[in-house]
Amino acid sequence: MSRGEELVRWLEKELGGNFISAEATIPGRLFIDLKREALSAAAAGLMNRGARYQVGVGYDARKSGQGFGLVHTFAFDKDSLLVALRTFAPGDDPEFDSLTPLIPGAGWSEREYQDLLGLKFRDHPNPRRLVLSDDWPEGIYPLRREVPHDLMPPAAEEVAFRLDEAPPGTSIVPFGPFHASLHEPAHFSVYVDGEDIKGCEYRGFMTHRGIEKLAQTELTYNDVPFVAERICGICGSVHSVNYAQAVEAAAGLRIPRRAEFIRMVALELERLHSHLLWLGVAGHLIGFDTVFMQAWRIREKIMWLAERLTGNRKTYGMVIIGGVRRDINQDRSEDIRAVLKEVEREMLALEKAILKDRTIHRRTRGVGYLSREEAVKWNLIGPVARARGVDIDARRDHPYAAYDEVQFEVPLADSGDVWGTLVVRVKEVYEAIKIINQCLDKLEKLPKNQPLAVDLEGPIPSGRQGLSLVEAPRGEAVHYVLTGEDNRPERWRVRAPTYPNLQAVPSMLLNNKLADFPIIVGSIDPCISCTDRVLVVERSSGKAKLLSRQELENLSRGKRSKK
Amino acid sequence: MTIFKKLAGRAFRRSVWVYHCNSGACNGCDIEILNILTPYYDVERFGIRLVGSPRQADAILLSGAVTRPTLPLVKKAYQAVPAPKLVFAIGSCAIGGGCWYDTYNVTGGGEKAIPVHYFIPGCPPRPEAIIYGVALALGLVDKKVAPVELKQMEFPVDMYRRAKLFEVNNVIYKLLGEEEDRLEFGRK
Repeated sequence: MSRGEELVRWLEKELGGNFISAEATIPGRLFIDLKREALSAAAAGLMNRGARYQVGVGYDARKSGQGFGLVHTFAFDKDSLLVALRTFAPGDDPEFDSLTPLIPGAGWSEREYQDLLGLKFRDHPNPRRLVLSDDWPEGIYPLRREVPHDLMPPAAEEVAFRLDEAPPGTSIVPFGPFHASLHEPAHFSVYVDGEDIKGCEYRGFMTHRGIEKLAQTELTYNDVPFVAERICGICGSVHSVNYAQAVEAAAGLRIPRRAEFIRMVALELERLHSHLLWLGVAGHLIGFDTVFMQAWRIREKIMWLAERLTGNRKTYGMVIIGGVRRDINQDRSEDIRAVLKEVEREMLALEKAILKDRTIHRRTRGVGYLSREEAVKWNLIGPVARARGVDIDARRDHPYAAYDEVQFEVPLADSGDVWGTLVVRVKEVYEAIKIINQCLDKLEKLPKNQPLAVDLEGPIPSGRQGLSLVEAPRGEAVHYVLTGEDNRPERWRVRAPTYPNLQAVPSMLLNNKLADFPIIVGSIDPCISCTDRVLVVERSSGKAKLLSRQELENLSRGKRSKK
Repeated sequence: MTIFKKLAGRAFRRSVWVYHCNSGACNGCDIEILNILTPYYDVERFGIRLVGSPRQADAILLSGAVTRPTLPLVKKAYQAVPAPKLVFAIGSCAIGGGCWYDTYNVTGGGEKAIPVHYFIPGCPPRPEAIIYGVALALGLVDKKVAPVELKQMEFPVDMYRRAKLFEVNNVIYKLLGEEEDRLEFGRK
């Protein structure tokens, strides 16, 4: 009996009449409908069975008479299984049980829907605004159907951030919203006692552009991949591939093998340039500009290669639903191999210089420490989790495209600090080169002159769910698509990898020196544009404090005793 | 424009330090702006340097569509730059709001927030384009545009007429069966 069947049986037995239905659309996906009373019991059961919380998706289904829908997705990494629990609440009483006391990583998702859809969450420990600004009027929820996408309530003048007071004995050092070490707008209010960081409050969601609302009201299925690419200028293909996979899963579309390999090449090229970019920025943040210059010099070759392959240095525009737009022929594949060979050679030299450099050791070892247990508790993903010994990688655990046909390793480190993330990322560069070379081998063997994309047979039926994962350079990105009418998704939710990772930053900062702040925040490779844009609305609201003083103290004691 | 250029030439005769202001961009333009510092592009040879504070800067490189929360912040950053100052809007978003120009959280481009002097298009613009735009503003290079006399245009128009004539004659001569003369005429 597979894990999925076992879960369904257990839920049926445990929940009785509160269990409505279960559907396995494609292998590795399980969509379960529940009554809302049973939500927290079911989520607790899944977590006890080793699930990892991913994201919550709220949507407005009042048009079809179902009220408000709320989907929580969970991953079973060992069993390659994704489970989505969906519940509905009537339109006039949109209240759900909060999962945050049970799963801290669900906190942001729930607060997001509180802002955007007007949902209520019972027993949420911190039910303050997250996404909407202070001057956004009460009672207007931008993600609701009746609110147009271009609604612009007049801005209130001179709205100050409603940040908390510093705890006694500490003073505040503000970082941001525009700060030299943060390349994107975000505000960290750091509490310091002397040089030591004693806490931190985060206020973000300044890059929110309402993309999901656009997709639901203005765009069509095939427009969205190009907008999805512009969610992030660094990992654009991740989002377009991910969206296309989610729609294809919902529509039951099987894309050509050749297109899958071409998507993989695009994804891995992005990983290469993103990791080199991070390496450079990390060097810059610790004041080691030589690393910055050298890493970006190596990276530039990849950018030129991408331009030759796709026509643009970033935002490749390769992906459409059903396949890809451009082929990689023999000439180009030789070009890629030549560039990769050179990149690998130069990378080896750079690696030697970095990994043996005492300055880097001293600036990164033991900095931003977070234990493995904490990493699991906060649902950390990507290199940030792998540096803490959490062995997850969506490419291996939930194979998509053709990742099941290539061999690669998932580098791990157990130091739990910034140094670990650096080592993991350096090693992943070689793995990415290995994967691209294998893809090119396979591409050369596949028949040529085949169509690169399949067409949809008629419109996609509405009401189908699709869930897709892609391992972005920063961790796993999740896209959830609910198909709708008028040739556009009813709901499209993007969960960028920085979303869970950023929530754990205050824990990483605790008891570090103030001077290490930039590199600790930098170590998660924050992509604030991915995180913010995704959902809905407004300027970040004033309050996004993640931990109370008491919680921080408890955490810090826990950390010390574990050490 | 010439007066402005002269003024700019006088005001920014020495090294120009630029401040990078991300008003809600997707990182694409921001990374390209950082990229102009790296060895292949190396803008420091023109005296251009990225600085961390608007108070040290002569020019603002603005990227992003100016989202609602960043609007007051962009204005503040602009005010913090000592005059005379230049503003470059970099990328489609900063120019007109990009593909989300009218959503509920986007103001719709740099011009809605602060005066913009130069626009550098692209999604994202190449590093070469950014360097060229800044160098153009500083008078380091000339504008790459045909002179107003439309000298360039005369030649292609002539070519077009001759080609059209050739095509028409082709049909006529074919009808008349005088293939040899056609080539002769076409060359005129």
